[in-house]
Amino acid sequence: MRPVQLFCWHFMPYPYLPDDFDQKYDTGWVTVPNALWDREKSDGLYQEYLDQLVYGEELGFDGLVLNEHHQNIYGLMPSPNLLMAALTQRTSRAKLVVLGNLLPLHLNPLRVAEEYAMLDSMSSGRLIAGFAVGGGPEAFNYDIPQPQARTRYWEAIDLIDRCWTEDGPFAHEGRHYPLRYVNVWPKPRQTPRPPIWIPGAISVETMEEVAKRGYDYFLSSRAHGAGTRKAAQRFAQIIESYGGRFHPFRMGILLSVYVSETDEQAREEAHEGVWYFLRNCLKGHLRREGRMLTFGPGVPSTSVRSWEQYLQNADPEAKMLGDAADWAELEAWGSITIGSPKTVREKLWSLIEQAGVGNLMIQFHFGNMKPELARKSMRLFATEVAPALRRDSAALFGRDYPELAEMDFGDAKPTGAAA
Amino acid sequence: MNSTLRQLTVAGMGVSVAETGQGTPLVYLHGYADIHAASDGWLPFQQQLSRSHRLLAPAFPACAESAEDEEIETIDDVAYRWIEVIDALGLARFDLIGNCFGGWVAAELAVRHPERVNRLALIGASGLFLPGEPIADLFMEVQARNGRDFSGLRHLMFAHADDAAALALLPDGRVDLAREISRYKVMRFCSRVGFSPPYFYNRKLINRLSRYRGPALVISGAEDHMVPIAHARAYANGLPGARLEILSGCGHSPGIERCEQTVALLDAFFQ
Repeated sequence: MRPVQLFCWHFMPYPYLPDDFDQKYDTGWVTVPNALWDREKSDGLYQEYLDQLVYGEELGFDGLVLNEHHQNIYGLMPSPNLLMAALTQRTSRAKLVVLGNLLPLHLNPLRVAEEYAMLDSMSSGRLIAGFAVGGGPEAFNYDIPQPQARTRYWEAIDLIDRCWTEDGPFAHEGRHYPLRYVNVWPKPRQTPRPPIWIPGAISVETMEEVAKRGYDYFLSSRAHGAGTRKAAQRFAQIIESYGGRFHPFRMGILLSVYVSETDEQAREEAHEGVWYFLRNCLKGHLRREGRMLTFGPGVPSTSVRSWEQYLQNADPEAKMLGDAADWAELEAWGSITIGSPKTVREKLWSLIEQAGVGNLMIQFHFGNMKPELARKSMRLFATEVAPALRRDSAALFGRDYPELAEMDFGDAKPTGAAA
Repeated sequence: MNSTLRQLTVAGMGVSVAETGQGTPLVYLHGYADIHAASDGWLPFQQQLSRSHRLLAPAFPACAESAEDEEIETIDDVAYRWIEVIDALGLARFDLIGNCFGGWVAAELAVRHPERVNRLALIGASGLFLPGEPIADLFMEVQARNGRDFSGLRHLMFAHADDAAALALLPDGRVDLAREISRYKVMRFCSRVGFSPPYFYNRKLINRLSRYRGPALVISGAEDHMVPIAHARAYANGLPGARLEILSGCGHSPGIERCEQTVALLDAFFQ
């Protein structure tokens, strides 16, 4: 039976900010001055981050994940496709997840259809194709009018899907991307197309669009607990209302994890990187202090009705992840899982068991964390956490979803330390 | 004061129009800080104007009680829709006043329908592209600093961010739900037509200004932090019949910051 799928997600942050960054700057996004970029120190940075992901495959992780961000210190990946192209040549087994290209930021969705098809060919069919709409910072980066962003986004997705599944040339009579000749070469390696993953933040509208098209859903929140289970249940209901069938691999979640020998050691080792990540990388994105651009009236992507519901239920001055005061608060929010292999195993197992989600996308590297610490955490996870999660999840999913035995996910045979 | 709020249906879309006062009709196109004009409350300077004019203030798509319209994507779409709104109000010829981005729409209407606009008044109007003189980033400033600090937004709307009038209209922190929603709606509209290109301009408008040859009054605060004063000068230069009034010590909201003076200028102009 297919066990939980464990992915390594690297955000590739900028790790060389001055110590007084938080005191001096409002944000790590959009307007963070690029005079702070240190050309000398940054030499070799991408190489190191790619090496960490390659190490992930060696350790037996099922997939590697990258996403797209612009003009920020949180993620140096304006083009995840470039980095993923490099990984197609350095890996042979892991699924390669681009989660995803920010479609409204691309001039023409054909380019995304083409590049993803190239990645799928170059990796012999290992691509998982993610499409994201982009958040507030990206709206400011590329001047994307938010009320129109979603209609552009879904039109682009439908066009790309058609590029891969229908023979060309055909004309696309779209509102935003009208095209006379659609005829993508190459076609993707996978038949009929790579799996399509769509990130969302619990909105019912997104889940419905995903379910309607038979895609898979990725919950982009780092906070986990009862909300994760609710999201999975809601998505399962929506899939069924569209005549589909939910199983754990229809959905993924984002986790942030650090493993060390003991709980104390884990906190000690992770402290610098995690707090750099919270205070600097999340400033401007998921932190009240400074200027948060991720959502709000300046980037009004949600409908008036949804915004009203949000205001009725949320305290707009409430702390966000980047405002966490200490480890206790992080723990209470279920946002960052840190500890000994036993602690991490128990926490993740309880999440898998409760939420029944089969794709865990895990961030191991935080902020300015030393590469050797990130690697150690990955290694301990692969050797001392993953095997039990795989064993127990295979049993659980086999019991609850016997039909999984008949499904082909195109998985390679596991190898490496975690096999 | 008699004030009514009515719903029109124009080209299938709901448009709410606030109306007050008696006299010659004066179409008032609202901006960001004076959205009240298009909903249920009038600002004092508008009340004073209404002593000698019949003010008609339609709310832009998504604003106040007007429906949001997926077809509105550019300022061109707004101009076409808004002349239909004015048709629906039964005004063959009319006086027109536009504040902030309402001034932009007013200018777009005047250059398209010069024969229908008797007189045109622009207050702190955006709409023009002037190299090196960018209109400020309203979208950034409505994202409060530290989750509650709107001093940047007040700075855009007023000469002094900490003046009582500024704090009363745009206080820090959260306001009541109705006002929060009302502001969010304005931004839905602004985002559609004013977010890209950055921000609030139609590059072609400046060369079209000569199309409107009627009397025009261009009012700008000398300390407008939202729309640089160079834009008022460019409007005044581009509109052949224009007169420029620069109010010293005043910011982007002359009607609020210089109520008496603004009313006097407008009353004299629209006499």
